[in-house]
Amino acid sequence: MKSLHLALTGCLLALTLGAAHAAPRVGQPAPDFSVIDTAGQTHSLADFSGQTVILEWTNHDCPFVKKHYVSDNMQQLQRRYTENGAVWLTVISSAPGKQGHVSPDQADALTRDRHAAPTAVLLDESGDMGRAYDARTTPHMYVIDADGVLRFMGGIDSNPSADPADIPGATPYLANAARAVLDGHTPDPAVTRPYGCTVKY
Amino acid sequence: MARTSRRLTLLLGLCALAAQAVGDPARSGEVEAPHIRAELFSDADRVAPGDTLTLALRLQPDEGWHTYWMNPGDSGLETRIDWTLPDGAEAGPIQWPVPDRLPVEHLVNYGFEGETLLLSDITLPLEIAQDDSVTLTAQARWLVCEVECIPGDAELSLTLPVGDITDLSAHTALFQRARARQPQAADWPAAFSIEATWLEVTVAPDRPLTPPLQFFPGTTELVEHAENQQFSTDEHGNLIIRQPLNVYFHTTPAQFPAVLRDANGAWSLTVGGTEAPPTGEDRADSATDTVPTRLLALLLAFGGGVLLNLMPCVFPVLSLKALGLARHGGHRGHALAYTAGVLACFLVIAALLLALRAGGAALGWGFQLQTPMVVGGLAYLMFALGLALMGVVQLGAGWMGAGETLTRDTGLRGSFFTGVLAVVVASPCTAPFMGTALGFAVTQPAPVALGIFAALGLGLAFPFLLIGFVPALARRLPKPGPWMGIFRQAMAFPLFLTGVWLLWVLGRQVGIDGLTFALAGLVVLALGLWLWGLGQHGRQRLRLAAALVMLAALWPLWQASGQQATIAVTADDDRWTPQRLAALRAAGEPVLVNMTADWCITCLANERVALDTDMVRAALTDGGVSYLKGDWTRQDPDITEYLAGYGRNGVPLYVLYPRGGGAPQVLPQVLTPTLVRDAVSRAANP
Repeated sequence: MKSLHLALTGCLLALTLGAAHAAPRVGQPAPDFSVIDTAGQTHSLADFSGQTVILEWTNHDCPFVKKHYVSDNMQQLQRRYTENGAVWLTVISSAPGKQGHVSPDQADALTRDRHAAPTAVLLDESGDMGRAYDARTTPHMYVIDADGVLRFMGGIDSNPSADPADIPGATPYLANAARAVLDGHTPDPAVTRPYGCTVKY
Repeated sequence: MARTSRRLTLLLGLCALAAQAVGDPARSGEVEAPHIRAELFSDADRVAPGDTLTLALRLQPDEGWHTYWMNPGDSGLETRIDWTLPDGAEAGPIQWPVPDRLPVEHLVNYGFEGETLLLSDITLPLEIAQDDSVTLTAQARWLVCEVECIPGDAELSLTLPVGDITDLSAHTALFQRARARQPQAADWPAAFSIEATWLEVTVAPDRPLTPPLQFFPGTTELVEHAENQQFSTDEHGNLIIRQPLNVYFHTTPAQFPAVLRDANGAWSLTVGGTEAPPTGEDRADSATDTVPTRLLALLLAFGGGVLLNLMPCVFPVLSLKALGLARHGGHRGHALAYTAGVLACFLVIAALLLALRAGGAALGWGFQLQTPMVVGGLAYLMFALGLALMGVVQLGAGWMGAGETLTRDTGLRGSFFTGVLAVVVASPCTAPFMGTALGFAVTQPAPVALGIFAALGLGLAFPFLLIGFVPALARRLPKPGPWMGIFRQAMAFPLFLTGVWLLWVLGRQVGIDGLTFALAGLVVLALGLWLWGLGQHGRQRLRLAAALVMLAALWPLWQASGQQATIAVTADDDRWTPQRLAALRAAGEPVLVNMTADWCITCLANERVALDTDMVRAALTDGGVSYLKGDWTRQDPDITEYLAGYGRNGVPLYVLYPRGGGAPQVLPQVLTPTLVRDAVSRAANP
């Protein structure tokens, strides 16, 4: 019998050569995560069951992120949707030593100085959460509905520029999607191209 | 900070303008921005009304920094130029140079490092006063990145006097350089279709293309840029390019621009423009076209599977299976269970291969043997089976159905796992034997690909199905008797030999230190099996100890797989690299490429019988033909890509490039010295 198991092991070894990278999909349950925030508190997706969750990947040194903070666009979105009952998690996946990596204090200072209003800022130093969501750029936005199903992923708006002057003329994809999910509708488009700087894993 | 740099830009711009005033009207003067310098050039010193002139935006990023192509890829931003021109003048689009793939982390961007020249044509109106001058202003905006990104902009202006005729400027060399870096416009028919999660592009080039090939779609959100591109040719000689669709793909474009690059050049195409993508009737036509090909591939796979039964690594396992069947008098259930085992293992490996490829991994058939852990595991398996056959442990006769007291269930399960085992041990033989069918399979949609693998498995299982279902055949098998015990022990020796061969492969992968670890592990494994044998007479504790010892045998194997062979597998001067091949091809030299792997028996046989003979060596030397050898024993994405360029998915592959750059010739997978000599001579003197 041992030989049989060895035979199977041969087959299984071939199987485990590398797990295929499964990207998150709209309409499917959003990947779970377990990440600490700037206060050291651990958050996971299950904690927000029953609430709409908006994820924002960020890197404060990225020009595309600056575009949306200098113009107060990101902060307005954060305020609008948290006031409407959504949870807004700002996620920093920059690895230690890479651009955009910050200490909890620095992250809090950024929130304060920029008058940002996220529910929490998550410090994903390992990049596990970022990779689970296949977060590619900063900003990269996701909307998850109250049942934990991913409803939107992609760019914050339709104009992939770094110029704040381009914000008013762009289609606000994230804002539209968040509104739709809060109202119980399906966002259209549900996926858009994320633009910005690469996440510095 | 931004304000300071803008002021600095302005200041520098003013200095440049001042410089231009006294100097060259066809040159704007350089603007320096963080990590990049920008300047505008004209190919004309003086222009006539109604003429078209060309302007070049020159971007010079710092070393290691880059700007982006029209499709920047996964992140980044394409460079843009907004023109301010005299009334009635018109600016054409940016004429982009051929981009490079720029991998960043797990993403791929398309862009440019070093001096980048972006050309734009400006057509002037007919009504300009002759003694006037025209001012052409470019507002250039870019994103320049190393790992960090900095957006930048510059306003660059040229004022050119207007005359009767257009006079060329002194910058012709710069414009020549710019044009040399652009793809050639090609009117090759090119169409695309989107199937499930794949983009498939069909191109009919009017000349042979030389791998490695790269395909750059000029639109974002279409393909997953970081994922592997698969190149193959269909039965009409069309080039087929497949790449997974971008996760963020949502709208099918009517057509899109693209650049196709080979070892010798690059061509710009409009995909879906010159030929509508197949729809309705067209699609039906192309479906009937591919049916014979698919049928042929299925038949080839089936025949190949039947012949696999004779391969040295498969034969011992199979002869034992036949023996078991003889014992059972040709039981149908066993034949079916065995077939199910074969099919299951083939389909699992094939599905895994397809899934990993879809996920962007550069893999081909036989990839499981590129991992030392798997090769070592197989050697362990062969050794353990051999010891079991010798009687060191009493085989739970289940796996070959030789026991009499076993229940039927266990027997069937044994047959199933014999099937699994047959595929595992057959895999080194499968790749060379089935090159064409497997290469075709992986370019097909998943159901067709899996069908081809299933046909291969059915072929492998076919003799046993025959024995199981044709009683007359089963009756012809020798009657069971005491000879079977001796036969069983004798069959241990081919297994030991297979083990030796696998250890040799492992040694090539992990070097002598790694091999020694593995051999020590085999001794521990033998100890474990021996203890297990002792414990088979009811001593539970002994069996527990035996199990622990056998588990411990995995540790040296783990150690072994972590080692790296320090011995160069081939002499460095004939090692294949894409650059070396491209350089020889560019020089018009004849080249023979040999793609091989140590675990590929056909490859080794070809080298011994044909390539490594005096006759072929003399032909290579006389003809001045370079010989490049690519070793796929360990994973090598470059080689996988090269194989895919020839519609192959495994080794061996022999490609002969004739002198003067003609179309490459693919040699058969089984070589003879005269065949190679004649082909080499023809390639040397085409």
